[in-house]
Amino acid sequence: MTNFNDFKTRLKIAKSNLKKTDEDSAKEASFLGNAFKLGTELVAAVAVGTIIGFILDSWFGTTPWLIVIFFFVGAAAGMLNVVRTAKRMQK
Amino acid sequence: MATNPMHQFNVYRIGPEVKIAGIDISFTNSSLFMLLSAGAICIFLLLGTREKKLIPGKMQLVAEIFYNFIAKMISDTAGSKAKPYFPFIFSLFMFVLFCNMVGMFPYSFTVTSHIIVTLIMAMFIFVAVTVIGFIKHGFKYLKIFVPSGVPVLLLPLITIIEIISYLSRPVSLSVRLFANMMAGHTMLKVFGGFVISLGLLGGWLPLSFSVALTGLEILVAFLQAYVFAILTCIYLNDALNLHH
Repeated sequence: MTNFNDFKTRLKIAKSNLKKTDEDSAKEASFLGNAFKLGTELVAAVAVGTIIGFILDSWFGTTPWLIVIFFFVGAAAGMLNVVRTAKRMQK
Repeated sequence: MATNPMHQFNVYRIGPEVKIAGIDISFTNSSLFMLLSAGAICIFLLLGTREKKLIPGKMQLVAEIFYNFIAKMISDTAGSKAKPYFPFIFSLFMFVLFCNMVGMFPYSFTVTSHIIVTLIMAMFIFVAVTVIGFIKHGFKYLKIFVPSGVPVLLLPLITIIEIISYLSRPVSLSVRLFANMMAGHTMLKVFGGFVISLGLLGGWLPLSFSVALTGLEILVAFLQAYVFAILTCIYLNDALNLHH
């Protein structure tokens, strides 16, 4: 029983090491996931903006104008999405 | 037929044609593989929780890892308020993961490579999160579209941009999963076709690519399920903890 304390500290060190590697690998996986995310974030907002512009155009009969405006608004929304995702990645 | 890389995505009927009010609800290969994935999850978790030992066996260990993984993800991204939604997010993650993984077997069908499946899941999440937000905060939830500290002149434009950004969530969520799965499986099939057409002499290079791609696809299958679940958590977090 002389080594009991020694064993306890060794267990503690091993446990903390285990926890560290767990966290590291989880972080890496989420970085890769975030990298996959950025592209679609941008494209999806542009697509949604364009579709909204197209629908509003066919409602009001203003054919090319709203689709052009909403394309750019959608692009802005896409950039906002990307910036937000990037900010979340840095946390 | 076999050389067409898109042939693997065909949905065909199994058994009789069933129509209710003009809507075709027949049993298809897609439904079959959804059932297979759901069944595999049930068997896996039942085996994992059959003997509740203090020192877990192999199956119990894997089941516990999955449980801890999702529980940690939810508490990290959405906080303690999201605890009641654990069963939903866990089922969602397991279903997407198992559908992706079952699709990795040769001759099987990848359910998540169809945008209609992923879009329905994403739309369900989108509607559910919006409803939860309105239930928890009432009309204050609309503040999510009006960021604080913006000049009055710019406010209408910013609000439109925020609304489009909000509406793009289900699109990006579903397109990401669908595109990743479809592109990966098409690529595998194309390289498989090269192996056959180049024959014994030149087929080794595409074969080695195929092997590497299979590994990559398994990583993507896991990663996309993870991204799908974590984004659900992030959207849930926005609805539960309003901080705009």
